[in-house]
Amino acid sequence: MNWLMRVTHRDRLEREADRELRFHVDEETRRLVATGLAPDEARRTALAAFGGLEPIKEAVRDVRGTRWLDDLAHDVRYAVRTMRRHPAFTIAAVLSLAVGIGANTAIFGVLDALLLRPLDVPAPGELSYVVRTGPGADTLPLQSRTRLPFAAVQRDADVLQPIHGRVAAMSSAVRMQVTGAVGDPGAELVLGQLVTGNWFSVVDVVPQRGRLLTDADDATIGGPAVAVISDGYWTRRFARDASAVGTSIRVNGYPVNIVGVAAPRFEGFVVGNPIDVWMATALQKQVAYGANADVSDADVSKPWRAQEGIAWLTLVTRVPSPISRATAAAAIDLAFRRDVEARAAKIANPQQRAFALRAHATLADGSRGMSPLREQFGGAVTLLMTTVALMLLIACANLANLLMARGASRAREFAVRLSLGARRGRLIRQLLTESLALSVLGGAASLLFAEAGSHALLRMASDGPAPLMLDVSMRWSIVVFAIAASIATGLLFGLMPALRFSRLDIHEAVKSGGRLVAAGRGASFGRALVVAQVALSFVLLVGALLFVHTLHNLLTIDPGFEATHLVTARFDPRMAGYTGATMASLRERLLTGAHAIPGAGAASVAMCGTMADCHSVSDIDVPGRPRGVGDDNDVQEDYVDAGYFPSLSMTFVAGRNFLDSDRADAPKVAIVNEAMARHFFADVNPVGRYFTGGDPDAKITIVGVVRDSRINGLRETPPRMAFYPYSQNPAVPVRNLYVRTRGDVRQTIDDLRGVVRQADRGIAVREVVTLAALEERTIARERLVSTLTGAFGLLAVAVACLGLYAMVSYSVARRRNEIGIRLALGAPPSSVRWLVMRETLMLVAAGLVLGVAATVPTVRLVASLLYGMTAADPVAFASAVVALSVVAMLAGAAPAWRASRVDPSIALRID
Amino acid sequence: MSPADRSDLLQGTLDLLILKTLDAAPLHGYAIAQQINRTSRALLQVRQGSLYPALHRLENKGWLAAEWTETDSGREAKVYRLTRKGRAQLESEIADWRRLSQAIALVLEGA
Repeated sequence: MNWLMRVTHRDRLEREADRELRFHVDEETRRLVATGLAPDEARRTALAAFGGLEPIKEAVRDVRGTRWLDDLAHDVRYAVRTMRRHPAFTIAAVLSLAVGIGANTAIFGVLDALLLRPLDVPAPGELSYVVRTGPGADTLPLQSRTRLPFAAVQRDADVLQPIHGRVAAMSSAVRMQVTGAVGDPGAELVLGQLVTGNWFSVVDVVPQRGRLLTDADDATIGGPAVAVISDGYWTRRFARDASAVGTSIRVNGYPVNIVGVAAPRFEGFVVGNPIDVWMATALQKQVAYGANADVSDADVSKPWRAQEGIAWLTLVTRVPSPISRATAAAAIDLAFRRDVEARAAKIANPQQRAFALRAHATLADGSRGMSPLREQFGGAVTLLMTTVALMLLIACANLANLLMARGASRAREFAVRLSLGARRGRLIRQLLTESLALSVLGGAASLLFAEAGSHALLRMASDGPAPLMLDVSMRWSIVVFAIAASIATGLLFGLMPALRFSRLDIHEAVKSGGRLVAAGRGASFGRALVVAQVALSFVLLVGALLFVHTLHNLLTIDPGFEATHLVTARFDPRMAGYTGATMASLRERLLTGAHAIPGAGAASVAMCGTMADCHSVSDIDVPGRPRGVGDDNDVQEDYVDAGYFPSLSMTFVAGRNFLDSDRADAPKVAIVNEAMARHFFADVNPVGRYFTGGDPDAKITIVGVVRDSRINGLRETPPRMAFYPYSQNPAVPVRNLYVRTRGDVRQTIDDLRGVVRQADRGIAVREVVTLAALEERTIARERLVSTLTGAFGLLAVAVACLGLYAMVSYSVARRRNEIGIRLALGAPPSSVRWLVMRETLMLVAAGLVLGVAATVPTVRLVASLLYGMTAADPVAFASAVVALSVVAMLAGAAPAWRASRVDPSIALRID
Repeated sequence: MSPADRSDLLQGTLDLLILKTLDAAPLHGYAIAQQINRTSRALLQVRQGSLYPALHRLENKGWLAAEWTETDSGREAKVYRLTRKGRAQLESEIADWRRLSQAIALVLEGA
């Protein structure tokens, strides 16, 4: 019988041992009776020969090797009894631990989903994705760095030999409009992705229904009209009905047949973008996939799949073990370089050619997928994780101090047990069991709200129609974290008191009833804890002040437009089948409808619009200006109507707005912003000058200059902008409809939604919000960080001051005698107050010195999350020092005042 | 001296005696004690306090196997028998014991 069985069959073994020994005694009794003894006498003799049944049973139990477990059970029972005897302490400790561990677990849930969790596919460690490197690449967002000209890379089959067939590609996840599924709830926006035919075999996902995409689906442009859906979409849209496979749906107006459902828990490769529908890249044109591409030399109106001059796919590869990642990376780089060199050869300017030739491709670890969210929120989540961990440390210090204080009152119990021969290790174990019982209870309670906490965090990080779509549901990794955090916490706050009390001076403790114990090392340990608490809370307070100030800096920025009374509707008519020919009339209908809204002011339309996370960047040339390298010739562009600038309250600094005379047959015109004018024209007035785009013969004349505005978000400096009129580009899609309102904003939101619906019911509206809401979304991370660090900073200060208060009060109680004597000898109460305040002052001063020393290097790590200030902001440091000192002084003042009111006659009578 | 010390002293020997006794036939604990008592002509008195822990220890090591069987008296008793592992152990312990007693004999005679 092995050890585990001996544990699980404990009761049976106990019974059997009892039976076995009883049998022995009975047999012996029978033998003795046979020799002539009276039955009673015989039994007594038999038992005496045994020396009692219990000691033997004990010895048998020792042999079983499960003794420590029995001890543990005993300790736990004892701990539970102790907890019951001090319900107030228990409830307070468990609650504070539940909140502390819960906050840690909640943030860990997000951290795990965002940064740690591997993809749920076989051997995720074999997966990599391809990233462009080279000058300027580091500053680009991940999406741009991973967009590659797949057709060009794939062409070189010979260099890709080592990983032949193992390079798959995916497009960006984009919103697509689905109509025509069962029950038809109207047009619905889903997250769709185009992938190569080998996508699912490379990533290694199996179907749970039907089949997944194959090479045959992706072989011919416009090939079989099929789609694969995810488990999530199958559940949401089809209620997991088996008949979903075989159903036809229209994606952006194009009918496709659902051929299968991917395995559950596979939501795609991009964490935070759970895909609903996958289709082959061969269907790019059919399903009107038309964004997220870098076009260098291609005709965007033709199918993209075969064109080498367009980078729109991210390459994902699986490199199984015999092949090293380095080999695979070298092969990919070689293939990529052939394209880079071919392209560079066409560049005349040697400086630019050298710049272009510095581009390379490398492999990045894809075991956890990839995610732009990591760049955006990774630092913030790590910061919050650290903050709550420090918070828990501060709370631990308080609990340790409480246990010390309580332990002091139990000193006599420990002393008695020690003197009765209890071993020290045994006593430590029992005390640790008590603290662990508290922390495990707290940890268990924390699991009740950890998941809700994670969701709350995600909602705080993004309030738009696309919240952070991370799966933070309860799972093993989170439970294990909570258990580990509970145990670590229990050990942390239980170990010092346990070590301390197991080393009691028995004689002193018994004699004094335990009151002397805490005077020596115990008290200095308590003081050290308070100093640590003050230091830690100082770190958190400075952090909080920095982040709150950062948010304030962002909120007081002048964005360059007025956002509160501007309502915007966001949609994409191309998904509803609109093309260049039908776009102009739709635009007219939308504008007419918007103008007719009661209380409406200026109304306008735009392609990209403001704060809408849309960047269209073009390369331009200004005659007479030498071309630079990198993004030197880039401008961000947008297509708007003449109403755009007045409706957003963007003011002109020079020139004019678009006019009716800027017709399609008139000379091409543009309005630029100050940043563009400064960059390309320096001090010269750009109005009346021109630049050229792709076609060097097509001159675009600048007719006006508008003030800079933070079009890409409050944190982003105004980009160089060029606005073109719809009147000269009628085929350009309209994706934003704006209306300024003098009336009720909420009413206008409803009205504007109605306007789009009236224009065409088939257009799915992504959202209708105020521009202020979009603006707010661009600083969601800063708001999240400043709100949470602010809250935790205040909490930390409160908890630390509570610890300080308890410590000083305790020390006053201990010194009542001494204080009584001083007062009796005629010391003025003020000197007694000073005596106590001095202790507080010294603790706080030590804490602050330590805190400043710890904070200076720490805040440097979060410098990238700050805005408009440096990490070593003297104001934040100074205010934290002042605030913490004042609050701490207040915490110390109460016990000081009480000390000065000690009645000497009572104080002296106690001992 | 506590009982534990005395059993420690005897432990190795007691194990050997138990294994040897069970080599002949499976027996229950009481019978083992009687048997050792009888064969050693009462020179070796097995302390009942150390017999049962020893039996359980040997069982945990896998040298003995136990089974509840009906005895002559009609009561169920836990009957131990030697396992294959136990037999191998017995042989090696006998060999050890012989070597030890020879060595001691040599020392005693030489002196």
